[in-house]
Amino acid sequence: MATGRFEETVLPHLDAAFNYARWLTRNEAEAEDVVQDACVRALRFLTSLRDDNARPWLLAIVRNTWYSRLSRRSHFTRGIGADDGDLDMPDAALDPEEQMLQQHTVTRVRSALEQLPVDFREVLVLREIEGLSYKEIAAVLNIPIGTVMSRIARGRERLMNILRLATNMEALR
Amino acid sequence: MSCEHVERDLHAYIDRELGAAEASAVRQHIIDCLECRRRVTELEGLGRLVRSTPYVVAPARLRARVAAQASGRWSATRLVSLAAVAVVVLAVGGGVTLEWRSTTAIDPLTDGVVDAHVRSLMADHLFDVESTDQHTVKPWFLGRIDFAPPVTDLAPIGFPLLGGRLEYIEGRQIAALVYQRAKHTINVFVLPDAKEPSAEEVRAIRGFHVVHWRGDGMAFYVVSDLNQAELRDFAHALRAP
Repeated sequence: MATGRFEETVLPHLDAAFNYARWLTRNEAEAEDVVQDACVRALRFLTSLRDDNARPWLLAIVRNTWYSRLSRRSHFTRGIGADDGDLDMPDAALDPEEQMLQQHTVTRVRSALEQLPVDFREVLVLREIEGLSYKEIAAVLNIPIGTVMSRIARGRERLMNILRLATNMEALR
Repeated sequence: MSCEHVERDLHAYIDRELGAAEASAVRQHIIDCLECRRRVTELEGLGRLVRSTPYVVAPARLRARVAAQASGRWSATRLVSLAAVAVVVLAVGGGVTLEWRSTTAIDPLTDGVVDAHVRSLMADHLFDVESTDQHTVKPWFLGRIDFAPPVTDLAPIGFPLLGGRLEYIEGRQIAALVYQRAKHTINVFVLPDAKEPSAEEVRAIRGFHVVHWRGDGMAFYVVSDLNQAELRDFAHALRAP
C-alpha cells in the first residue's frame, strides 16, 4: 500500500530530486547517495505527505539529507552564508549586456553557478531550472518568502558578476 | 513609479510573482524607461543561460535501487540512522503541509489526467504523432476522434509544440497535446464537454499543477510540474491565441 503510494507520488519527482542534489553536492556520485538516502527517509515519512505537495516535500527531504551528511563530516565548515554582508564583486562590465550574455558557453555558465555560495546556487536552481514558485522554494528551504526573494535577487547579481568577470578575463587574453 | 521602486520588484516581476496591479505598474514603467527595460532583458537572458545548462536525469540504477527500497528491501541499520533526523524532516514536512493543504476532493477525471501525465513521462510514450508543426498535428487527430482540439504552436512565446497522442481515461477518448517549457513537459488534455464555459481553475495534485477550464464545447486540463504562474500564462495563450 505504502509502496504503491510512493511509486505514484514520489518516484515521478526523482529527476528533480537528482538534479537538485547534483547542484547541491556538485558531484554526481554523491548526489546519487543523497537521493537514495532521501528516498529511504521519504518512504519512512510518507504519512506526513499530503497528496498535492510531493515535489517540494521531496526536495526538502533531499536538502535535509544533504545537510545532515555534511554535519557528520568533521572537516566541513559551512561556506559564506547568504546573509553575511555584501561580498559582491565590483562591476567590471563595459560591453553591452546582450553581447556579454551571448558569449557564454554552457560550460562557463555551469562553472559560474558552481562557484556561487550554495545558499544562492540552490534558490537559482530551484527557480530557474526546476521552475518552483517563491512559495514552494520557501517551503523547501524552510525560510520566509521575503528571504527567498532577496536571495534570488542577490544570487542573480552575483552570477551576473561572475560571468562578467569571466568575459573580461577572456577579453584580456 | 520610480526606478528604485521598480528595481526592487524587478525579480518578482520576471518571475511572475507580482500581483496584477503591481505587475502592470512595472510593465508601464518599463515601456517608458529604457534603463529598466534593459535590466529586464538582461535578467531574462541570465535565466535562459541558467536553463541552458544540461539537465541530468536520475540514472537508471538509482531509479531501480529506489524502487527496490520501496518494495520493502531495506536494512535495519538504515532505520537507526534515520531516527536522528526524524524530527527535522517531520518539522519540514509539517511546514510544507500547512502551505499546500488541499481543500477539495479530486474527481476521477482530474486524477486520471495527472496519472496519464506521469505515465507519459515515465513510460517514454509522449507521442503518437511527433511534430512541431501544428499543420501536421491537427490533421492527425482527424478521423481518429470526433472532435477537433485546437492545435496552436506557442513557440514564439516560449512554449514549443512537440506533438500529440490519444489517451483513454475514465472510459473517455481524450486528445493529448504535448508542449515544452525549458526542461518541463506540458500535457494538454482535451475532451468534448458541452457544459457552460468556465474560468481557469488551478490545482496542485501530487506535486503537479493542473489548470482546468471549459470553452468551445470542450474541457481542457493542462498538467505540468512547471510553476503555477508560467502555467497560467500558457493556459491564457492557449485559450486566446
